[in-house]
Amino acid sequence: MADLVRMAAIGKRYGGVQACHEVDFVLGAGEVHALLGENGAGKSTLMKILSGDITEYAGSIAINGTPVRFSGPTDAQAAGIAMIHQELDLVPGLSVADNIFLGRELRTTVRTVDRRRMEREARELLDRSGVGLDPRRPVGELRVGEQQLVTIAKAISLDARVLIMDEPTSALTSSEVERLFDVIRELRNSGVGIVYISHRMEEIAKVADRATVLRNGKIVTSFDPRKLSTAEVVEAMVGRPVQTMFTTPDSDTGDELLRVENLKLKARRPRPGRRDPDGISLTVRSGEIVGLAGLLGAGRTELLETLYGVAPGGIRTGRILLQGRPIRPRGPRQVLAQGIGFVPEDRRASGLVLFHSILANTVVSSLPSYGRLGVIARRMERTASVRMADRLRLKFGRLQDEVGTLSGGNQQKVVFGRMLLTEPKLLLLDEPTRGVDVGAKAEIYRLLGELAAQGLGVLLASSELPELVGVCDRVVVLRDGRDVASFSTADSGEGDLLAAAMGHGEMFDEVGGV
Amino acid sequence: MTDVQDKVVTTDKMSVAATLFRFQSVFGLIAVFVAAIIFSPRKNGAILFVSADNLANVVRAVSEIGIIAVGMTFVILIGGIDLSVGAVLGLAAVGSAVLMVENDWGFLPSVVLVLAIGLVFGALQGVATAMIGIQSFIVTLAGLQIARGLARIWSGGQGVAIAYGDGPKEAPTSFALLGERTFGGLVPIPVIIFAVVAIAAVVFLRVSAFSRHLYAVGGNEKAARLSGVPVVRVKIAVFAICGLLASLAGIVHAVQLNQGSPNDGIGYELDAIAAVVIGGTSLAGGRGSVAGTVAGALLLGVLNNILALNNIDSNIQLLIKGLVIVAAAALQRLRPTS
Repeated sequence: MADLVRMAAIGKRYGGVQACHEVDFVLGAGEVHALLGENGAGKSTLMKILSGDITEYAGSIAINGTPVRFSGPTDAQAAGIAMIHQELDLVPGLSVADNIFLGRELRTTVRTVDRRRMEREARELLDRSGVGLDPRRPVGELRVGEQQLVTIAKAISLDARVLIMDEPTSALTSSEVERLFDVIRELRNSGVGIVYISHRMEEIAKVADRATVLRNGKIVTSFDPRKLSTAEVVEAMVGRPVQTMFTTPDSDTGDELLRVENLKLKARRPRPGRRDPDGISLTVRSGEIVGLAGLLGAGRTELLETLYGVAPGGIRTGRILLQGRPIRPRGPRQVLAQGIGFVPEDRRASGLVLFHSILANTVVSSLPSYGRLGVIARRMERTASVRMADRLRLKFGRLQDEVGTLSGGNQQKVVFGRMLLTEPKLLLLDEPTRGVDVGAKAEIYRLLGELAAQGLGVLLASSELPELVGVCDRVVVLRDGRDVASFSTADSGEGDLLAAAMGHGEMFDEVGGV
Repeated sequence: MTDVQDKVVTTDKMSVAATLFRFQSVFGLIAVFVAAIIFSPRKNGAILFVSADNLANVVRAVSEIGIIAVGMTFVILIGGIDLSVGAVLGLAAVGSAVLMVENDWGFLPSVVLVLAIGLVFGALQGVATAMIGIQSFIVTLAGLQIARGLARIWSGGQGVAIAYGDGPKEAPTSFALLGERTFGGLVPIPVIIFAVVAIAAVVFLRVSAFSRHLYAVGGNEKAARLSGVPVVRVKIAVFAICGLLASLAGIVHAVQLNQGSPNDGIGYELDAIAAVVIGGTSLAGGRGSVAGTVAGALLLGVLNNILALNNIDSNIQLLIKGLVIVAAAALQRLRPTS
């Protein structure tokens, strides 16, 4: 295997923080090289240097043996390096095809945009990635997972020699992940070098040829991912032994907290790609963690939104009972006041004001309780914020720091803390560990266990099956906006969930891969 | 050891830069002030610019735009804009004159009604943008036309002069005092009104729960809504406050000019926006301060004054003001983003 990329003694400082220190990284042609590490370990910095996003650094880079120094991302792209960012850089108003060919539109002989050819080629690219998306649909209408697939198709269309994927599967369903892996293997066979950043160990074992672990800006170890156990890798990442990721569920549950009976929502203006509840019944007892499983588009997010009163307008039928009393969710303010909190899926877009302080972000939902007559007692809100930060083991400098400076996991803890300060009885969580590193994940699980032990009820939507099985007492599976199965996690596994989520037709093709 | 020292130095350097940027408009004001002293014409060796009378004039001239700009800051902090403030000022000036002169209303009822009109007008604009979901630019563009039209109808199309006295068709003398009287023989009452408004706004933004909601709405409306912030209420309240302050400025305007004309305040919205921008408040919302706006308004006032003192051609004055706004905005782009 020839060395496609050779990065030597790479160093990068941000103020007092050494993000990368003497890092040597080699990628061969036709190699899938996984990059592991907690958030803040230096993975992103290293890859931003390779993709030309960061132009000031120490050390040297050689592509195919020729030393290079990129002056920007365009420069790196010209050298055949493409990066798929974790933050999706798509233009919502443009169609899928327009996005894929943005900046290098195909032209007809009279220099106008050749829409037909772009759509045809986009369709081919999407088919190759195993996605049956209409290239004419506006990207803004797509779900996060589908958008992720579009960015991947776009990167493939660049015919890059080096492809950097930063958590490409965070919003994909298991079957989509499998198709993506087929694409990756195909690219590898054609000699493309792929850097694969992920927090999911089982994916790395399946797709990567080599794995490198970074910790505090330094390389800790490099290994063959098929030969090391998950526990060993996690230990290398966090630098200390980890007993168990998951807290064993406490089966000691109390009275019924939430009861949903045949909930249906008929939207006044149905949106494409949305699956509103179409007959969902479930219960959550106090002290119980109930999982919501289902494929992308099964209606998990839509159910949580309906319960929180933020679903689009329409006719709602069925009943929602909180502690036996019927409630009609009209909006977050009213629902929060009843004791139901919500942690949304996309913390950057709908959870936080990134450039506001940690303090402001933590207390915003519970402001009236710090003072009277609309005047805030600063000491009270500080105390509350500090107490919450301690309880969540938030890693931060000062309360005045901008939330955007925290790592993903710590940002998520801030959203959690905000909700907990409202002292809810029930928490609705939508993908609470997406884009969160292993250490923070374990802490969020521990926290959920603690909260449940104190009598809080939790309804947790997740597309990570190990998480659902590991954390929840019970899992309800949704399909096409209906609840189709319910499992106790004590006596069923990931396979059962997946089979129920996919329905019986597909079951036998797909379960084998999980 | 060296590592630690290194770190300390970097943080110190960073915080100095951060402070400079944070109080950019204040430093800008100081710079313009110093420049004004240097370029001021002299009379018998005395610097005209810093004479007490001249400084009183500067702040008096700033007070109307300043009051409007405080309200505008609130609107811009939630990521909106209010183009109607100049027209609302005109409507309020006309209202004050017509009520007191032609309808023989007393001082207090006139002022209360005029303020209420501004408040309701602003609140309605808030309703249109928060509940119907029309962008505030469009809503207040329409509001500008409507307020101007109302002012023309109410005044019969021309300025209503205000004469003072106890007789019919005369405004109460207490109204004149608002414009003429000074505090301590030097500080004009309009300036006091501006100062009170500004201080009240600064305090309000510091201590109130409402202000946290306001910043959250401007910072990330979706996140604010999901966090239980009453987004609609916040928006309506903010536009109402802005309308109220615009009509307060209209009253101040009427007493200073002894008349109310439907053409008063044309283009004031742009000066107010300029003051807010120079003051460092982000047009994207969620970031900024009233203190910055006050500094921005004073900066523009000092600039106007020194250019006028030097008899600079008014067209050149416009040019220079334009360049200052661009420079202020450009400096904010350099602000380190954490």
